[in-house]
This record gives sequence, structure tokens and C-alpha cells, in this order.
Amino acid sequence: MPTLIIDGKEIDVKPGTSIMEAAKLLGIYIPHFCYHPKLPIAGNCRMCLVEVEKMPKPVISCAMPVSEGMVVKTDSPMVRTARKGVMEFLLINHPLDCPVCDQGGECTLQDLAMKYGPDRSRFHDHKREVPNHDLGPLIETEMNRCIHCTRCIRFSEDVSGVEQMGAVYRGDHMMVGPFVEGHLESELTGNLAEICPVGALNFKPFHFQARGWELKHADGVCTHCSVGCHTRLDHLDGRILRVMARGWDAGNESWLCDKGRFAIDGLREGRLEAPLVRPVNGVVQNKVSWPEALDQAAAILKSVKPEEVAGVASDAIQGGEELFAFQDLLRNVVGTAHVDHRLRQRDFSGDEQPLTRADLLMNTPLLDLAGADVILLVGFDPRFETPLLNFRLRRASQAGARVISIHTRQLNSNLLGLTSIVVAPGGEAQLLNQVLAGVDGAAVEGDAGMVAALLKGAKKPVVLLGEQAIVHPEAEGLRRLVVALLDKVGAIGPNWNGFNRVASRGNAAAAQDLGVVPHRGPGYTRLERAGMNAAAILEAAAEGRIKVLFLLGVDPTEEALDRELARKALEKARVIYLGAYGCEASRAAEVVLAGLAPGEKPMTLTNCEGRVQRGVRAGNGPLEAKEDWRILRGLSDRFASPLGYNDLESLRKRMATNDHRYDFARLGPGETPRACDHSPVTKGLPVVVRAFEPASGIHLVVESALYRDDPVAWRSPVMGKLARDGRLRIHPDDATGLAIGQDGLVRVLQGEKRVELRADLDSRVPRGVVFGDFGQGDHALRELCDYVNGYSRVSLVALPG
Amino acid sequence: MKIVYQNIHLPNSHTLAVYRANGGYQAVLKAIELGPDEVIEEVKRSGIRGRGGAGFPAGMKWSFIPKNDPRPKYLTCNADEGEPGTCKDRDIIRYDPHRLIEGMMICGFAVGIQQAYIYIRGEFYRETERLQAAIDEAYADGILGDNALGKGFKFHLAIHRGGGAYVCGEETGLIESIEGKKGQPRLKPPFPANIGLYGCPTVINNVETLASIPSIIERGGAWYGALGVAKSSGTKIFSVSGHVNKPGNYEVELGIPLKTLLEEHAGGVRGGWNNLKGVIPGGSSSPILPAEVCATITMDYDAMAKAGTMLGSGAVIVIDKSVCLVRAIARLSRFYRHESCGQCTPCREGTGWLAQIMTRMEAGQGTMEDIDLLQDICNNIGGKTICALGDAAAGPVMGALRSFKEEFIYHVEHGRCMAG
Repeated sequence: MPTLIIDGKEIDVKPGTSIMEAAKLLGIYIPHFCYHPKLPIAGNCRMCLVEVEKMPKPVISCAMPVSEGMVVKTDSPMVRTARKGVMEFLLINHPLDCPVCDQGGECTLQDLAMKYGPDRSRFHDHKREVPNHDLGPLIETEMNRCIHCTRCIRFSEDVSGVEQMGAVYRGDHMMVGPFVEGHLESELTGNLAEICPVGALNFKPFHFQARGWELKHADGVCTHCSVGCHTRLDHLDGRILRVMARGWDAGNESWLCDKGRFAIDGLREGRLEAPLVRPVNGVVQNKVSWPEALDQAAAILKSVKPEEVAGVASDAIQGGEELFAFQDLLRNVVGTAHVDHRLRQRDFSGDEQPLTRADLLMNTPLLDLAGADVILLVGFDPRFETPLLNFRLRRASQAGARVISIHTRQLNSNLLGLTSIVVAPGGEAQLLNQVLAGVDGAAVEGDAGMVAALLKGAKKPVVLLGEQAIVHPEAEGLRRLVVALLDKVGAIGPNWNGFNRVASRGNAAAAQDLGVVPHRGPGYTRLERAGMNAAAILEAAAEGRIKVLFLLGVDPTEEALDRELARKALEKARVIYLGAYGCEASRAAEVVLAGLAPGEKPMTLTNCEGRVQRGVRAGNGPLEAKEDWRILRGLSDRFASPLGYNDLESLRKRMATNDHRYDFARLGPGETPRACDHSPVTKGLPVVVRAFEPASGIHLVVESALYRDDPVAWRSPVMGKLARDGRLRIHPDDATGLAIGQDGLVRVLQGEKRVELRADLDSRVPRGVVFGDFGQGDHALRELCDYVNGYSRVSLVALPG
Repeated sequence: MKIVYQNIHLPNSHTLAVYRANGGYQAVLKAIELGPDEVIEEVKRSGIRGRGGAGFPAGMKWSFIPKNDPRPKYLTCNADEGEPGTCKDRDIIRYDPHRLIEGMMICGFAVGIQQAYIYIRGEFYRETERLQAAIDEAYADGILGDNALGKGFKFHLAIHRGGGAYVCGEETGLIESIEGKKGQPRLKPPFPANIGLYGCPTVINNVETLASIPSIIERGGAWYGALGVAKSSGTKIFSVSGHVNKPGNYEVELGIPLKTLLEEHAGGVRGGWNNLKGVIPGGSSSPILPAEVCATITMDYDAMAKAGTMLGSGAVIVIDKSVCLVRAIARLSRFYRHESCGQCTPCREGTGWLAQIMTRMEAGQGTMEDIDLLQDICNNIGGKTICALGDAAAGPVMGALRSFKEEFIYHVEHGRCMAG
């Protein structure tokens, strides 16, 4: 432990620590531009020069490791002169356009110029002018402001793994920019603007929206996927205008994905402004007062037997508060057992077992993923399901971990050395069965043998089950196989637990925890009487056995795998819709209760590792919309036994009594709830793998699309620019055989049903399988989903145009 | 006294046959007999300092390479010879390439290196051909290869051509360039001796340094150390250019008076000694010496440092009284602006600024404030940059301001040059 003295203060630090970091520990700020704690060191800005005794020249503190007995001065005359010199150099070619620069007020260059810069320039020659670049819809460029710190370049190379930024030319002709103009092919591009210390790279959607100093900041938690990244919501006059990353070393470090950062404009699109009621046999929904709307909703709920009522909730944008109140209302006030959130799931056979929280969530904290040595992804495309989880996996791959993916297609991945094993749709279970045999000691050849050997040799293996594994027709079998596999190699234990089921939707974990499932109450309590699961609810509603559908923030026509069934259910049943957005379901509803969207209410969010977090209110919703749980509370007043909480605090207390992980009172000061705070994984469940029969014809696999996968994102105009809506991904050879060209119009047929989309030729897709996104409106391939028999088979016809 | 250039006057001196006939490849055999440690000791004893410009003792450099390190080690010969005025290495490669190869083999043997590279200046096209021919000859003869000289040590040699960037003559910029990256110097520490080429311990020596090694081994470090003067032992090739009657490369013992070098070897200053304005003694980055200093100074590392300049690469640029010094320095400033890699702030911005002011000054549009500003800019670049290119750009301007400030003032006051 070297001991050194910085500005007269003594400190012990780890060997290899830089002077900059050591000073930071002492609370001494050393000015800098190019240094970023989460990026590789470049040492090019020269702003952090400090004086070290016995060294003839000033040294850069970001790159100089400490040594025993070093005496550092960070504010000596030599240092001040050096900084003034560097500052003058940086400013000679920097435009004096702070008044019209988005960075103004929160610019490192501006701040340090106030301290070290001259008030008059001595530069009277030609200022450098460089062209701007087209970096796509997210990043605005003003490259004259660039100070060549190369943070954006280092970020691209090291973090996002997409080497699209670079510096061309030399000397004072050097230009930072993309090698190719246009879209940056990364899901993390927003970070380029966030780390830019000047106004060269700015957020295009935020361009000229507000000045930095006008904004108020609130600590948010991102709802767009289950990583639950920490955000800073910058808001003005009740509107969230910008989302920045809030440092969180155990999670998103300093980064956010583009969805989490830029989907906020979706908050303002297509909102439900006030409660609406449609008269019996009427067509038009009329705006009514809240008491009228709640009276009507209560009347509908009371008009049928309790067991003829069913509730379906969204696991994407609803907070823990309303999820808890929703199941509480349906079970204990209305008296029905039918409540669920798993509209995309096909296989519910796991409900028969008392699965624990550990069986359903992650068991390797995000932080520890980076230390894994073998990573097996099963039906998981982490980069486009949970981008910041993928960042952790990338760190592991950079440290030398082997990454193998078992998926129905090759991944478009930035994980180093990824081995992609492509299986036929539904074939994951069979392959894993072979791997299990291999781990057991049987001689297994090919891919399965390779995976078995890797797992056996691994010290810290992890397996991650993703979306395609969770919506798999044999999801539970697959899950048990993975548990068995990890158990065999000793990777499910107190010291290392590599079993991870990653449900990617924002609050899926809270929906499980708080009992928004038909077979369990809040806190994983067993119920005497299990209700119907989401699939059964829709079926029963379509058949008239469920007469009232109560929807919390969810549109089954957009969320359910089988869109036709969802439509029938909405048509047949009486619908009460509580949520923030207008949609097909809200239009079908007799009563519409206008709720609030994320960021407009305090929300409890539980991430994929089971960490309970709380977001705060930063913006205002529509004037008459109300906090969702309060609406439910108000509705319960119309019944004999209303919900027993009148304020947020008592509701949260109730949640905490049901599940201790939601109890923030037990935490010490400054402590936050832990990741993976749950009981052990259930081992030894019987594993049954159905023989998978390969079938002829073209298979259709429907996946979530990163930029469209929740109600906020699919309404966001910015996300619309990033998403490739209405696309069918097909192997080039298959396309050639069918005379389909890139961007050509394709009709996808299944019996009577048809959907028309444009083709994307993609060699990552295997032959004989086509891929599409969940999609909305006319492009919804789910129109074709054969809900009962696993994957659908379709035929394709090329259309002119 | 000729050591490096001892053979270059011979017909076909570049061939293996001629090199062999004159005692070639005997030193490396002797080195193998001595053993690695003794070879390094001999080189240390010789006191030879790096001939590329920085003047770092070569034996010391070799001894910094960690022993018992599992990583491979590399030797890189810096043949980028980009310092304006320097052309000494070119003649070694042209006329005695085997001397360089032998020197590299001795270094490789002493340090435990199996793969070496010669990073040669891109413009040296013919020289590359000749060097390659020499390497091919050496391979064909079994001098190089898995069993070099049949002595059971492995030594491979490959040429890497540069793309014409001055900054790639900086040792870590050179490493980046060999690795296929943009030629930008690296931060130090870590030094190449620990983390160099491909992240492995690397020795980087100049062509002249390596070509001196065979004689040092052959005749002993003590013999070499006795040549020259204290702390500047041995011989040095000076590339004398500019206003002398016989410009050329002259190998002489270090410590020779500059006046002797110019008057006795280089045929004298054009128009006589009294027509001398000044001498840039060690390549374009070394501050200029005025004529009165030139009359007495000796050509060795310490005397040069004492006079506020440096021996550098040994490129002696002689300037007589017909020259407008402001114009000459402006030209150099434009060179450094062009060659700055652009990586770090003081050099990127400072070299451009210097060049713009110097160009204005030359055209008679400078101000008295500009003269002070030039000094300030040089001070703000010097010692604040990643590599020495920043100091190199500041050197000529500072030197001119120190010794010829009156010419700058004349330019400001009269809008034209003193020299007419």
C-alpha cells in the first residue's frame, strides 16, 4: 500500500492507483477533460497536470501511478501555469458560441475556463473549421466545439464494441467523427453525447429544448427493461425533457441505452386525459367525473359473479404499488382468483410447482456477471433485450470469458468470441438435454459436447434464460434442464449461483413478487384456490366464461401472443381499462380510468436480479389522470371491504409485510436493497423433454423489438426512427428462392390470415425460419401465431413494389 | 576514426561477401562466446549513447528488459530517420546493411530476443530494397533463422515500412505504427522496456547505435569508451548540410570542435567563417547556435546541453548570412504543425498557433506582442506533451528568439527582412 502526500494530506492507496484517483479519495478535484473513470486512460487533454516533487516536468495525474513517498502538489504555481497554458490552447480553436450551445451551463470547458481561462484571447489567426457529421437521429454534432478528448472514440471501442468513431487526419487538422456518415449502429449511442465534455456531441431530441440551469433533477429508475438502470430525470415545468445516467457501479455504471434515454417523448403521445364511460349499447366514450367512472366500474364488477371477473396487468410500465393493489382488489375485494400478467408465455406448467423467487429471477448479481468464465445464453439476445446487462457480459468477455449462445438464430452481438449455436425453433431443450448427458459423463459429440466440456471445466459458469426461453413452448422443461445442468457442475451453491432467468420487461419481477399470478399470493405465498392464467383468461373471455376483464395498463391485442384471441376476448367481455395510454383495449372498454405513466408517480420497481428500487415523480401527467393505486383504492370504496391503505406509506408498509424485500425501513442509512436476496433454487424437479418433431415449411418466430417493447417506447417518435417496424427477417438464400429482394414487399400467409411486410435479408437467420417483431397495427405478425402448437408455419409470397 | 562507416568506401560494400571479407559476422560469434550478460556489460562499458537523438545509454536500455519474463521480447530498429537534416542512417543501410543486421543480432542474443523489426522510413524505397536483399542473403547463408549462424539461437528479422510520418520516429509512435494503428505516441509509463510492441518488452535502438555494436564487441567496450570525450564516448556521424562547401556525412570522434568539423571536414562555411550566421547542431528540433558560440563549442552531449541546445541526431545545418532566419524558422514551424499527430492539446493547438504567427511574422505582419506570445506558447508546449514532438516544435523558435531576436524585431518594425 503506497503512502503518498497530496497537497499536504497523507493517504494510503492500492498499488497502481493513479494520482487522480488518489486525489479524488481525498476530496481533491483535479481538473480534467479526457479522463473518465469508466473509460481507458488516454492522457491527451493535459489538463490534469500536477507537480510531483523530484520530477522535472509536470505529470498528468490521470495516467501516473502513485509510488511510495510521492509528494504531489495539485495547485502549485507550476501547475497553475501549466493549466492556464492548456486552457488557452483548448480555447483558441473553440468557438465562442456558449450562448447558443446546448452544453452551456453544464460544460466542463466553460466551467474550467471560468477558473483558468483568460478573459481576452491572444489568438488572432484563423480558427479551425470542421464539417459536422450525420450521426443519426439521436446525436447532434457541432464539431467545431470538439476538443479531441477522444472520450467518444474510447467509449465506442471499449464499451459499445462498435468501432464507428475515430479521429482522422493529424495535428490541428485532426477531426473526430464517424468513419461512415449516418446511423451509428449501436444501442448505446446516447452515451457519446453524455460523456462529451463540451458541446460537440449533443442530444438531438433535446436540442434547444431547455438550458441546463433551468432543469430540475430527480432520481429515477428506468422502466424500459428489467435492468432498472439508475437515471437522472431532468425536468422543467412538469415535463421530463432529458434522461441522464446516474452513476451506479453495481448496475449501469455511467451508461444508459438509447431506449432508456430517448423513449421519454413517448410519455406525451396518445395519453388518456380523463376518465371515460361508454353507455350500455353506446358507441362513444364520454368524459365523466371520477366518482361517476368509479361507480360505473364498480357496477360492472358487481354485475357478474366474482369468479366471472378476471384481471390482467402489464409487467412493463406499472409500479409495484398498483400491481399489489390490483391483485389485492381483485382477490380480496371483488373475490376472484383470476389474475395474471404473463400474456406472452406459452407454457404454464411451472405453476403446478411451488417455484421460488430464485427459480424465476437472476441469481448472479449484475456486478458478478463480469467475473463469470463461461457464459451460456439460452434463447437470450442480451444486447437487444437488456442492453446494460449485456454490457456486464461484454466486460466478462473482455476479461476472457467464453460466451456461447443457443438460439434459433445467430446473435448480432458485441460479446467477444461469441460462439453461436443455432437450433430449430423449439430445439433448445433437446440440445440442452444432450449437454446434460455430456455433463453426466456420456460421450456427446458436436456442439452439445463442446458446451458440456466448457461447463464442466468452468469455475464460475452462468446460464441466462432470455425471452425466447421464457416464451418457449417448453419453457418450464428448459428451465429445469438448466437448473439440473448447473447443479451437476456445482454452480448452484451459496458461493456461486449461475442460474439466471431474465424476464426482460421492466417490472416483471415485481409482478411475480407481489402475486400478480393466478397460483400465488404476494410474497410467494401459496393460495388455496388457484385462478386461471393469462392464456386461459383470454380463452375464457372469448368463450364468454369470463364476463368482465379488468386490464391494468395492458392491451392484450398488443401484448398477447395470439392477437386474434385477444380481439375476441375484448369483443365478448365487458372491459374496464386502467392505464395511461389510449389503445385498442381502452377503446373497447366500457370504463376507462386514466392513470399515470412512469416518471409521473412514485413507483416501486424490481429489477431482473430482484433488487427492489424506487423511482420518484418528476413530471406531471394529464390534469385529470390519477395515480393508479389511488384509483384502485377509490374503486374499492364501492365494495363492502375497501382496500386497507389510504396513503402511499401505508400501501408500501402493506407490501413490505407481504414481502420483506419491499421493506425499506429495515435498511440502514445509505443502504439499498440487495440483489438476488432470495431463497435457493429448487433442485431435483423432474425433467421431461418432449421429442421435437421437425416439420416442413417455413417457421415463424416472433420476437420483441428493443425500441418497441413497451407502451412508452412504441409510442415514442424517436424510437420510431430507430426501430425497423414492419420487417420480416429472412435468410438471403431463402429470399432468393422466393424471388424476394432486400426491402421487397412480402405477404406472409397462414391459412386465411395474411400480413404484409418488407423483407430484411439477414444471414444471421437460419434457412427455413423467418423472424419478425411483435409489432403493432397492421404489421403484427402475431395475427399469424398459432398459439397452441408452438411455432406457426407460414408461407411467403413476394409482392410487387 | 571510422567505425560505422569503415567499409562504405569499398566496392559492393553492401554485399555479404564484402562484409565477410572485412571481418563481418565475427563480432556476433564473439558475443555468443562472451554470453549475454557480458555483452551487455561490454556495451555499458563502451558508454555508447543512443544516436537517434535522445542520447540514452544503450547498454542501460538493454539491461532494463525484464529477465525471466514469460512474454516474448522484441527488438525494433528505428530507421525512420525523419529529423530534417539527418541522412546518416540512410548511408549505413545503403552501403553496409550487414553491419546493422549483425548489431541487431548481438542485441537479440544479449537480451534474449527472437524476433526483430526494422521500421524504415517509407521514402527510403531503394534502401528498403537493398536492406531486404541483405536480409535475404543472411537468411540464405544461415546467418538468420531458427538456428542463427548454426549456433542454436533463434533470430528473425523483418522490415516494416513507414508511411511518411515524422512522429513515427518517436519510439512508441513507431510501435503503434508497426501494430497497424495510427502513429500516435503512447503515454509513458509504461515504458517499452516493459510494455512495448504487442504489449511485450521491447528494445528500440537507432540504426547508427546498432551499427556501432559489432565494433564495440570486437574491440571491447573499453576501447570504444576511450574514444571521444567523457560521457560522450565513441564516434558520431554528423550530417553536415547547408552553407558549407562540402556537405555530407562525416564520422568523427565526439567532442570535436564544431569549427573543426565545418572547416576541416566539411570544406568550410560558404564565403568564409565570418559569413556564418548560425548552426542548428542536432537536427531541426535543436535550438540554433549563433556564430560566436559556434567558434568555440565542441560536439558532445554535455557541451551542447550546456549551450542550451542538443546533439540530437547529429544533423548539422549551417546557415550563412544570406538567410532570413525568421523565414527559416517559419518553415520549420510549418513542418512541425504538419507533423504533429494531434493527440495531445499543447502540441496539436500550439504547433498550429506557432506556425500561423511565424508565417505572419515572416510576411512582415507580426507585432511586438507576437514576439512575447511566441515565447509564451513555446513555454506552454515545452514539457507538457505526451512525446517530445512538442518540445521539438518549440526548440527552433525558442533558439531563434534567444539568439536572433533582433531579426524578429526588424521584421515587425520594417515589415521585411534584414537579410534583404
